[in-house]
Amino acid sequence: MSQIIVITSGKGGVGKTTTTANIGVGLAMRGNKVALIDTDTGLRNLDLLLGLENRILYDLVDVTSGRVQYKKALVRHKKYENLFLLPTSQIKDKSAVNPEQLVKLCDEMKKDFDFIIIDCPAGIEQGFKTAIAAADTAIVVTMPEISAVRDADKIIGELGRADKENVKLIVNRIRPQMVEKGDMLDMGDIDEILSVACIGQIPDDEKVVVATNRGEPAITMSDSTAGQAYKNIVARICGENVPFLKPQKEGFFARLKKLFGLL
Amino acid sequence: MGDIVTIKGLKYGLQLTFAKGASFDDVQANLLNKLQSGDGFFIRGTTVFVPKGYFAEEQNETLRKMFHRHGMLFSTELKRPNLAPPSRDTSTKAPKVKASVEETQKMMVINHTVRGGQEIKANCSVLICGNVNPGAQVIAGGSIDIRGTCRGFVHAGAFGDKTACVVADRLMPAQIRIADLIARAPDEEFQASQAERAMIKDNQIIFEPVAR
Repeated sequence: MSQIIVITSGKGGVGKTTTTANIGVGLAMRGNKVALIDTDTGLRNLDLLLGLENRILYDLVDVTSGRVQYKKALVRHKKYENLFLLPTSQIKDKSAVNPEQLVKLCDEMKKDFDFIIIDCPAGIEQGFKTAIAAADTAIVVTMPEISAVRDADKIIGELGRADKENVKLIVNRIRPQMVEKGDMLDMGDIDEILSVACIGQIPDDEKVVVATNRGEPAITMSDSTAGQAYKNIVARICGENVPFLKPQKEGFFARLKKLFGLL
Repeated sequence: MGDIVTIKGLKYGLQLTFAKGASFDDVQANLLNKLQSGDGFFIRGTTVFVPKGYFAEEQNETLRKMFHRHGMLFSTELKRPNLAPPSRDTSTKAPKVKASVEETQKMMVINHTVRGGQEIKANCSVLICGNVNPGAQVIAGGSIDIRGTCRGFVHAGAFGDKTACVVADRLMPAQIRIADLIARAPDEEFQASQAERAMIKDNQIIFEPVAR
């Protein structure tokens, strides 16, 4: 049975597209047949993160308007043969695709894929409504920041209104040191407001930026903590029970200081 | 002259009866005279009842305006102005009460968390089984009971009912309004540790702990 997952957040810049790319690659690495659909028409980025920009022939708008079969628009990933990208148009805008068209497309694609992952644009306007229309699971990405949490709350409300009850949460870009000092919202604060099942806590990691610029998602890097967190998320999506990553150990000096403090 | 209008004190106001054959103009002149003489009867905020159908609609309207100018309420129906317990000041809020008695006695039940950007509006009281998150709004004609944490914006007694209250397991709203009073959260962070009720006392919104 295939799953259709939408990755959404409300606020921009919290890492929807990064998450989509990483989860997509992670699922494909486990042998699933995966399609990623970019619905951020006019501001597409998913192809860049996967390093597939130069292979695009047709886009989502060509497919939904009936110009080509969706199979023709799919771009196969260069490394992972089970991973496909359905890019969107960079020229058109969000009004070019409507919810019914996307539902029809996903129904058609369901037969061929184990996972269909939809990358949602920021905002709560038409682009958002289109992106969530076909999904049976929604993953809300947020950051430990009051505005991102507020927007996530709003989005969860909107998802509820659209009868999407299966909602999961990913908290991105956590800085353990700041949380420890009380300068950043911790998981307890976020959970208290959102009260949604959390499937991932991703530490802030510079390697994600490197990965984005290289077009190779962080999940493929063995030395990236964010990549490890994404691997765990993928395992949880596949139904495994994986414990959350412990925040990185404090440095030697910090521990020494604590020791002396105790004495 | 003094017999044209008879004034009778009632539980909720004053009832006027008129001498047989007195014309509307006579009644009006007589009442105006009484109002201006500052007779002890006409205290600001008192409701004055005139039997329904005694005068024509537009004549009633003239009387209504005249009483309003003197800070009184005018009614053609003999009943309590609103639900609030009968005390001296109850009649002052009568003009704002739009919801009928039955409506304020009803209760709307919301069985989920009210999230940011969502709004619950009801003429009656509201019971929320869930949280009221920051950015959410709950506006009720009656009282608001939240079985969870309240961090949003709440307005109880939106039509002016000063007896309305807000109860929550943890009451820390960004802003709270009861009837026409407004209070906001303190600028420093605070954490409510037990169930509290917000209500009006001495024309101020106060919080007091409640057992649940």
